[in-house]
Amino acid sequence: MNPLLKAEDLVSYIGLYTILQGVSVEIHQGEAVALLGRNGAGKTTFLRTIMGLVNTRSGSIKLDGESIVGKPTYEIAKMGIGYVPEDYGVFDELTIEENLKIAMWKEDKPTLEKRDYVLDLFPDLKVAYKRLAKTLSGGQRQMLSISRALVNENKIILIDEPSKGLAPVVIERLALALKEISKSTTILLVEQNFALACAVAERYYMIDEGKTVDEGTIKELIEDTELQRKHLGVI
Amino acid sequence: MKLLNNMDKKTFLALGVLLVVLSIIPHFSKLSTITLISRIFILAVYGMSYDILRGYTGFINLGHALFFGSGAYIAGIFFTNFGNNLVVFGMAVIVTVVFCSLAAYIMGKIVLRGGGVIAAAMITLALGEIVRNIAERWRSVTMGADGLPFKIPDVFRDRIGFYYYALIFLIIMTVVLRQFILSPTGRVLMAIRENEQRAEFLGYETSKYKLIGLQVAGIASGLAGIMFGILNRFANTDLLSVQQTLNALLITLVGGTGTLYGAIVGSAFVNAVQNYLLNLRSVHPIFERWLLFFGAMYVIVVLFMPEGFVGLWNKYMKERRTKKNTKAIEKGL
Amino acid sequence: MDIFITLLINGLAEGALIFLMASGLSIILGLMGVVNFTHGTLFLWGGYSFVWIYTLTNSFVLGILASILIVFALGVFFEKFFVSRVYGNVPAQILITLGLQVIFTDLVRLFWGASPINVARPSYLAGTWSIGGVTIVQYRVFLIVVGALIAIGIHILLNKTKIGMVIRAGVQRPDMVQALGINIKLYFTLVFAAGAALAGLGGALYAPLVGSISSTAGMHNQVLAFIVVVIGGMGSFIGSAAGSVFLGLMGAAVAWYAPSLAVVANVTLMAAVLAFKPSGLFGLAVKK
Repeated sequence: MNPLLKAEDLVSYIGLYTILQGVSVEIHQGEAVALLGRNGAGKTTFLRTIMGLVNTRSGSIKLDGESIVGKPTYEIAKMGIGYVPEDYGVFDELTIEENLKIAMWKEDKPTLEKRDYVLDLFPDLKVAYKRLAKTLSGGQRQMLSISRALVNENKIILIDEPSKGLAPVVIERLALALKEISKSTTILLVEQNFALACAVAERYYMIDEGKTVDEGTIKELIEDTELQRKHLGVI
Repeated sequence: MKLLNNMDKKTFLALGVLLVVLSIIPHFSKLSTITLISRIFILAVYGMSYDILRGYTGFINLGHALFFGSGAYIAGIFFTNFGNNLVVFGMAVIVTVVFCSLAAYIMGKIVLRGGGVIAAAMITLALGEIVRNIAERWRSVTMGADGLPFKIPDVFRDRIGFYYYALIFLIIMTVVLRQFILSPTGRVLMAIRENEQRAEFLGYETSKYKLIGLQVAGIASGLAGIMFGILNRFANTDLLSVQQTLNALLITLVGGTGTLYGAIVGSAFVNAVQNYLLNLRSVHPIFERWLLFFGAMYVIVVLFMPEGFVGLWNKYMKERRTKKNTKAIEKGL
Repeated sequence: MDIFITLLINGLAEGALIFLMASGLSIILGLMGVVNFTHGTLFLWGGYSFVWIYTLTNSFVLGILASILIVFALGVFFEKFFVSRVYGNVPAQILITLGLQVIFTDLVRLFWGASPINVARPSYLAGTWSIGGVTIVQYRVFLIVVGALIAIGIHILLNKTKIGMVIRAGVQRPDMVQALGINIKLYFTLVFAAGAALAGLGGALYAPLVGSISSTAGMHNQVLAFIVVVIGGMGSFIGSAAGSVFLGLMGAAVAWYAPSLAVVANVTLMAAVLAFKPSGLFGLAVKK
């Protein structure tokens, strides 16, 4: 079977700085894959490169066999990639309802089914539905941001460090929700929180200094503490 | 002198030749050419005064003409009311220096409070327009929109003589402004241009340095204004207008921002082109519409030649040098 | 009391005109981070094309419509061919819009001449009402009504429509709007042109108020709009509305009680606001 998302030898740059220097990743339909690595390894840049928010110098990215390098961000998004950025990226001056609505416009005929699904998944959002997003807590913003990637027919969603800055209790709830989501959606998850990554993903890729240096199943990684220490330092 | 030590022999020689050529030009040229070149000298100083701000601090001042116009008006008002002799000229210079540093101080206090390039551009545009409005309404002193013609001291009457004064003015101001850029204050300004936040972290109170830069720029611009007033024997509100500020901006843009000398090249180019086009007006009346060409030049430079002439030249020289170096290295190997 | 009402109406009418300029300027600044120095020229083009069509057809309404259309098209032209090339580069944006301002202001002089052109108000708006000894100029009331309608219109557009939602979202996170599948560049063009059209409408309505149009009116009104945007808070629609009304009222009062101070009053106000609240009265300063 062809991979759903395939990046090969990806090199990308911001201004004068080359950030990615050869990242290769393959994700198949239905998988949940974690992207691990130290701070500054290039994980966030990798996601932004997929979205076309960072320029690609060489290498390829294919979604369902179709190249997406050089396409404008909005077209990449329309091809079925949902993006949940590190800092949530919710629109503060819009209500929760409007935040979801903007995301739903991606479909020609948006359905309410998906919206009802996320509101059941995150009841907090249902309660605050008509309120401005700036009234939400950090965890609720994360939920809103993830919801925006779920209300349309995305083939894959890219989630950037969902646990960042959240309280342990909230992270636990988030892990459950992500596990639930991964049953029906393909996920590429960037995560520093090893426990969360283990709870959600089946496979991992390791990035260091802008290159993929290792890959394998999460199970192997959990069992091999030596490997953990080598790649992730103290966890 | 430190200045000379910094230059290599070739540059020094080239400058010497240039100086000699410039000194004999007036004896072989038409009066109109002499006036044109005097104008280039003076507007080069005006352009450099703008470059101090724009090039070295990144701040776009759209009210810069208020210093230039004020210099011309102060000269005109003084010569008209107190007699046209050198003592009055000296007074006008002193008053211009005081006025411009004060005006720059007030402008700086309003503009340099946080904000940014956008806010500064909008606010300085408003300030400049206000000064122009005041000059237009204060008819008893400025003669309003009609403009103020005035008599000048006898020493400045001779066009050839004034040519040399303008040249000396340009040389002095170039040296002074260059020394300012090389001074500790100037270096901080450059650091601000590179990265304002970092300069702040290093403990520099950036707004204080910018204020000093603005004052130096204002004074230099005011002095150029005096010379320009004397050259034309006339001051009007156009000298205070946004258009006049845009002149300085175009001069620095064409020459190359942040290069100081770029303004000299820019002034020569812009004024020569303007002169050439105006001479074509008998061919077609469209050539009288200098502003159309002026605006077009602006857009073209911004889109296609943002480094300006001197910037392009520096880039070219740098490339040649690196090529030479790599060749030398290859040979060595 | 009489004079109070007259000044109120004068001030509000003036404020309505300033608002047409300032609101477009402010939204463009907020959404795209572009300070549009062509606004004064667009105002002029609005005024001149109105006068042109109005004298040609003798229809006030046609003149207004023509000015809006022509200036909208100019806005599309400016954005597509010039401004869009320099997004993200603030100094280049300022310089390129300044260059366009110079060219198109001179084109106005080339096409319509440098001397002012007189224009009368249409007969149905030219009269005055006399209520309890107070003379009320109909055209000024008309301006206030138009200004208020436009303000309500923009408010509804921003808060109730798809376009408005994208604009509000884009002011904050243009990258995220794109990552959700929306082509924000299309909206940039649209908003820039709509802002231009508002300035054009301002110019069209200004000419009959003053009784003439001349090529210096553009810069004058642009400066007023800038002052409003600075004191209202850059990028804030409410701020630009409130700032316009305030500036209009103050202008009317100063013109009556202390005409010699008229020139400096606006700038003093701006300086005072900046001294106490650098981000403007309604905050939301664009950080650039």
